[in-house]
Amino acid sequence: MPVLQAPDDLLNLREELRRREAAFARSTTIITVGAGTCGIAAGAREVLTAFEKSLAKHHIDAVLRTVGCIGFCAKEPLLDIRQGGGGQVFYGNVSPDMVERIVVEHVMKGHVVREWALGRLGADDAPDRSRA
Amino acid sequence: MTSRSLHEMTVESGTAARLLVCGGERCQEAAGARVATTLSVELARRGLKRIEVSTRGCGGFCSAAPIVVVQPRGLVYARVRPQDVPELIDQTLVRDGVLERLVWRDPPDVQSLVELRDTPFFAKQHRIALANCGVIDPESIEEYIAKDGYQGLRKALVEMSALDVIREMKDSGLRGRGGAGFLTGAKWEFCRKASGDPKYVVCNADEGDPGAFMDRSILESDPHAVIEGMAIAGYAIGAKQGYIYCREEYPLAIARLLEAMEQAREYGVLGEGILGTGFSFDIALKEGAGAFVCGEETALLASIEGRRGEPRPRPPFPVVSGLWSQPTNINNVKSYAMAARILLRGAKAFASVGTPKSPGTAIFALTGKIENTGLVEVPMGIPLGDIVFDIGGGLPRGKHFKAVQTGGPLGGCLPATSLNTPVDFDSLQEAGAVMGSGGMIVVDDDTCMVEFARYFLTFAAAESCGKCVPCRVGGQRLLEVLGRIGDGQGKREDLETIAYLSEHMTGSSLCGLGQRTAGPVLSALRFFKQEFLTHIDHGICPSGQCKKLVRARCINTCPAGVDTPAYLALVAEGRFAEGLEIHRQRNPFPMICGRACPAFCETKCRRAEIDEAIAIRQIKRFMADHEHGEPWMAPPIGSPEERAWASKRKVAVVGAGPAGLTAGLRLAQMGYRVTVFERLPTPGGMMTWAIPAYRLPRELTFAEIDNIRHAGVEIRCNVELGRDFTVDSLLGEGWSAVVLAIGAHKSRRMGIAGERLAGVMNGLDFLRAVADDPDHPAPEYDLRNKRVGVVGGGDVAIDSARTALRMGAREVHVMYRRAGDDMPATHLPEEIEGALHEGVHIHTLVNPVEVLGKDRVTGVRLQRQGLGDFDGSARRKPVAQESDSYTLNLDALIPAIGQTPDPAALDAAGVKYDARGATVEVDESMSTNRPGVFAAGDAVSGPATIVQAVAAGNQVAVVVDQWVRTGQLARPRFVTERRDVACGHRLEDFAEAHRPESRRLPVDQRQCNFKEVELGFDERTARFEARRCLRCDLEWLDLMQLPRPTAAPADAATEETPATSQGGAA
Repeated sequence: MPVLQAPDDLLNLREELRRREAAFARSTTIITVGAGTCGIAAGAREVLTAFEKSLAKHHIDAVLRTVGCIGFCAKEPLLDIRQGGGGQVFYGNVSPDMVERIVVEHVMKGHVVREWALGRLGADDAPDRSRA
Repeated sequence: MTSRSLHEMTVESGTAARLLVCGGERCQEAAGARVATTLSVELARRGLKRIEVSTRGCGGFCSAAPIVVVQPRGLVYARVRPQDVPELIDQTLVRDGVLERLVWRDPPDVQSLVELRDTPFFAKQHRIALANCGVIDPESIEEYIAKDGYQGLRKALVEMSALDVIREMKDSGLRGRGGAGFLTGAKWEFCRKASGDPKYVVCNADEGDPGAFMDRSILESDPHAVIEGMAIAGYAIGAKQGYIYCREEYPLAIARLLEAMEQAREYGVLGEGILGTGFSFDIALKEGAGAFVCGEETALLASIEGRRGEPRPRPPFPVVSGLWSQPTNINNVKSYAMAARILLRGAKAFASVGTPKSPGTAIFALTGKIENTGLVEVPMGIPLGDIVFDIGGGLPRGKHFKAVQTGGPLGGCLPATSLNTPVDFDSLQEAGAVMGSGGMIVVDDDTCMVEFARYFLTFAAAESCGKCVPCRVGGQRLLEVLGRIGDGQGKREDLETIAYLSEHMTGSSLCGLGQRTAGPVLSALRFFKQEFLTHIDHGICPSGQCKKLVRARCINTCPAGVDTPAYLALVAEGRFAEGLEIHRQRNPFPMICGRACPAFCETKCRRAEIDEAIAIRQIKRFMADHEHGEPWMAPPIGSPEERAWASKRKVAVVGAGPAGLTAGLRLAQMGYRVTVFERLPTPGGMMTWAIPAYRLPRELTFAEIDNIRHAGVEIRCNVELGRDFTVDSLLGEGWSAVVLAIGAHKSRRMGIAGERLAGVMNGLDFLRAVADDPDHPAPEYDLRNKRVGVVGGGDVAIDSARTALRMGAREVHVMYRRAGDDMPATHLPEEIEGALHEGVHIHTLVNPVEVLGKDRVTGVRLQRQGLGDFDGSARRKPVAQESDSYTLNLDALIPAIGQTPDPAALDAAGVKYDARGATVEVDESMSTNRPGVFAAGDAVSGPATIVQAVAAGNQVAVVVDQWVRTGQLARPRFVTERRDVACGHRLEDFAEAHRPESRRLPVDQRQCNFKEVELGFDERTARFEARRCLRCDLEWLDLMQLPRPTAAPADAATEETPATSQGGAA
């Protein structure tokens, strides 16, 4: 049987998912890596692997997730870090050898690596990066 | 790839709340465990049983540890100590409130980052179809649902009839985003009304344009949006089956689509009885092999049916007879993604964006010479320039906008004059391009429009399916014509052939591919006809891209056509005199141009694509300086007989600037007796009288002018046209021809009140006075301890500012009406940089509106300027901010806003000139309206550079020679011998070498003197740097199947090299 049996099920599921998402986002660090073809071609997979290794090394149980393309292809591999439901901090043109420093300084200590950061999207309507 | 969904962690039912405490090692040290224990004890003490405490792995942000997360509310408390526990429980769990002092917030350094929403890239976008792209995990239907996914479909099924959905779509005004712009709602309606069952919904995901990746990105980033849009269309038209036709070159898009369809079926939003309603709809995916023509709807349908992908004539249209001859609705990926959003948010919300005739947004893939390559979604109607310069971030530094191609290989290009065009279906068409599917390729002035058109044409011709003759044969014929033009073999009739072929291809091809194949050629021809003609008439490719016409881009772009690679190769081997000889063949001022040339050659240097351009100017300077003091005997031009004939003829040149002196030199080399008449006390024109000595020491200029005297040119100073002689008197006294090279020495006026007050002086007058005697300036030019303002942003302005500082000014302010990046003086960036280092203040976006003062200037009132529309030069026009002005207190004001030739002198010469710019009107042969009177240099072009004047001097000499000999006018082609020089080193050894910096005089040693600022290279540096040259000239020999020179210099071969790349002053 399908998960959704009636139109209202869709509404209920949406509410439930939103609640879960918001609660979850606040409880941890979410690292989101752009992995459209542009990101992958620019090295997103290698960056993901580097994050997996670095997070494991430091025993950090952060969420590493992939999304499609936000459109800023010139800055791929592009990723953002969001902690405790706060704003997203974006890093562009990330290479695997930058990852360890981002984990230690940003993920663990909460200090933005300013020379690599592109900017932030504030938490107001995060994680929605859109304006629509 | 490992990734996790945001929905893995949930609160088990039956628990009122759960407290998560950091359990990482660090947090243990930081008392996480003690906090957890204290929490458990305190909860037990209060009898709060349905609340669970657990530790969890470290989630990062350890600087805030220990952290307590309160689920399901998602509250985060940071740096919690055991003693905080009672208050935490009280506030949060007993009263259901928040303990503010412990709430975790983004640290200040996150908050101080640039908000990306406020940056032009995001601020000017409006994301409807792309709203989820890069936001949600495309492999998680739950993330899509959390973002209102499938709510549009739910609304349609529950709240609307099929006709309601169609009405909603029509009300939204959505026009097909595949490019043709047909009203989507109307298409759905036709399909609904068409008789036949079953009906089909097809998604055209056969995106094949070079440089376009909008569809791919949506499929990869938000596949459910397309599925939802198709299901809605199925409901509206009465179809149960959909097909997505996607090219197999998009493996990631296909994988994510298949995954998404699987999830959609699992969740009951695709398949039998969607959401428990009676509506059933499913989708199959058909992979295409990548033929471009399969993006055409009838070819696409044929391909789905398993037939050869060829178009067929329409009507019948697919809505009537499509897939297996059944009614079929075909839309593009973007249209379906937008349809889902329209149903969700309503037609009104969609139509409120964009223009009345093109509502909503347009999606573009920005590529080419642009900073922010990427995918953008903008409201329809946004000016083209906003996309290129604000969202796109403009062109990479130092490059100039030339054109933008919209609509891919079947679209068209638009030039700088179209940057204010609103981007929507109809306006783009009116402007000469098309919306197409949304590729936008930006090109700079390194791109040849002949080659650009040929590139797209090659693509379209190769992709012709061959079914109909106009497309199959026409494309090939067009390609041949363009190839001919690009090889310099074109004829004027070729342009008519292009028009003829295009007309017939457009009118009689079967499908859009053939009908629009000629689009790029026609638009390039419409906006860049001169560039085509330059190829055809002169065999010159101004952009330096057509390989056969371009020996090396540095030579091609040098107005004088100096053979740079040859002299660099000679410098590398220490053969400076030989190198200098090659330089002087086409430009007799290597010491001068080694200092004051904008070095067009370096801007086109191919090495810059790898690391940095060769420091050509500095190498030239070293080469020339090394031989300084060695006498130069200019070699003769022409046969002894010709020279003997010429030696009985006199030619007069008026004006001893670079154009006049070069013309005189070449004519003297040809044997003529040449006299140059100069109004000022010393020769050199702007080289002597405008360019300050700290940039160009005067004795060096005089040394190079002496070489010209030695060649036999007589220079008479202090004689003025109109006062001491006239053109009539010259022609009457036996001079065979006259060359007017009077330059542009008259300063433009600002045209504002107070301009005539004491203390206001023209930039050129000021520079001339200082050049005459810097140590004893006339009282009105004595700027010691004064506050000086300079108006303008060109070279004269910056030279005046730096000179004023050296004359002891206390403060110097440059006022420029445009943005700093638009300063014309930026062709020598070190000038502006130097000015700033020395302490000049530069005010941009201000315009003086009034000079203040009673009898002497006391200040200037400046009006701030905003940036408005684009002008024809791809710069934004300054727009006065009416109410926003301020006063700058000054003791002297130097307007330097441009120069023109002196109309009084031109009147005395009796030649026609342009009324506005006072530039002399000449024909292709540089002849004025008076027979035997020619003109060259700034007098013709308006203020330009030394090397451009030199080029004009070379050319006018050729024309004058022909005229005196034959009484005929000739084309100004200055031909010199080509000398191929072998490469004496291995290029590989210099692969890692970088361009060295030139030494400069420290700023503190520049005060109150005119010592040269730039100090140039030493010999080792110059010779080493010369070896970085990639020797494009030798590659050209290979291309033309000419022999490469052997280590000893080969015999010189004659080559017809026209003097300039742009027809120069002609």
